[in-house]
Amino acid sequence: MTLFERDGSEVEALLTDRYLERVLDRATGGPSIGPVDALLKPVLRDAADQLRRDLVRVHPSFRFEERLASRLAEAAAALRMPAAVGAEGGVVPIGILGQASLEGDGRDEDVFLFDDEDDLDRRELSRPLLIGGALTSAAISLAGAAWVAWRARPARRGGAMVRAARAVREARLAAVHAGRLD
Amino acid sequence: MFASTSRCNAMARPVFGRVKAAGEAGSARVTHLDRDRALVEEARRDPASFDALYRRYLAQVYSYAYYELGDHHEAEDATERTFLAALTNLHRFEERARPGDGDGASTFRVWLFRIARNVVANQRRGRRRHPQAPIEAAALVADPLDVEGGVAVRDEAAAAWRAVGRLPADRRRAVVLRFVEEMSTAEIAGVLGRSEGAVRVLIHRALRTVARDLGRGGRSR
Repeated sequence: MTLFERDGSEVEALLTDRYLERVLDRATGGPSIGPVDALLKPVLRDAADQLRRDLVRVHPSFRFEERLASRLAEAAAALRMPAAVGAEGGVVPIGILGQASLEGDGRDEDVFLFDDEDDLDRRELSRPLLIGGALTSAAISLAGAAWVAWRARPARRGGAMVRAARAVREARLAAVHAGRLD
Repeated sequence: MFASTSRCNAMARPVFGRVKAAGEAGSARVTHLDRDRALVEEARRDPASFDALYRRYLAQVYSYAYYELGDHHEAEDATERTFLAALTNLHRFEERARPGDGDGASTFRVWLFRIARNVVANQRRGRRRHPQAPIEAAALVADPLDVEGGVAVRDEAAAAWRAVGRLPADRRRAVVLRFVEEMSTAEIAGVLGRSEGAVRVLIHRALRTVARDLGRGGRSR
């Protein structure tokens, strides 16, 4: 490609861009086609007009919209959850990290999401931390319950009254067995 | 207060402007003016407020995913992933100047579409096949009350969808962002990570290919 051809192509690209600006503006009451736009090849103008007309925006279903809104509300509520309730780790929606390294075609030179390896490590650690926190809490709770149960068990040895009552009860039982109280 | 431009999608573009704060007679500060700034700040304070941004951009993101994936269910899946990723990473979003004002310009919409682009790319990579633009979806543009005219419009729309579906991936994305999402060249450059000049050339070449394709189809009909 010669320099002239390259320049010609760039000029044509600029004309196309300018024409598209006007075409898209027209829909919102912008100015109509100007004299400079007539420099663009008619076949390109026709193609642009047809794409403008036929490439319509597609809307999702209302059901999907509301379902996703609920899902986002849940995620938002989880984001607001204070760390004091045992969530030592952050809350990460499961499925996002696994699915999305979020690097496009491998050509995304300016990756903006999860591009920080330290940050990624921290995010990967957040769930084990959360689980670890929960397990630790459960273990402490179990140990506490066992200690309380041990402390609350009935005393084996009592005071003088208890010993006297026990002696009377044992004497009565022995008498019953001997048949003396029948 | 807000600077206005003549672009169709100027409201979504970040614009530098000089504003005078109340009581600051004579002194001015340079600030970014972004349509979504208030909503983004509110969503940062209270994640539940993200709903407003979601409602504003749902159709756009879904539409982009649908044109790229050609399937309603897959488009829904990609849309869901996109918004969940945006919500959980909102703290990482930075409002920046436009490309003409410096490198790495971005707005919330550009940022959101970059997420969408990456999510869709992952999804396409996952299914390992080139998607076809769903021709039946072209029926959406036909007038249901005008049967004869509807058929013609449908055929024409189907031809356009087919032509766009046959474009190389980068040109197809650029065309969809330009015609469906009505993004400016600068915004598309931000989404695709290209220069504005490169985007102009991409769209111009895409248009040439589509024109050739439509012309050939027209002659054969």
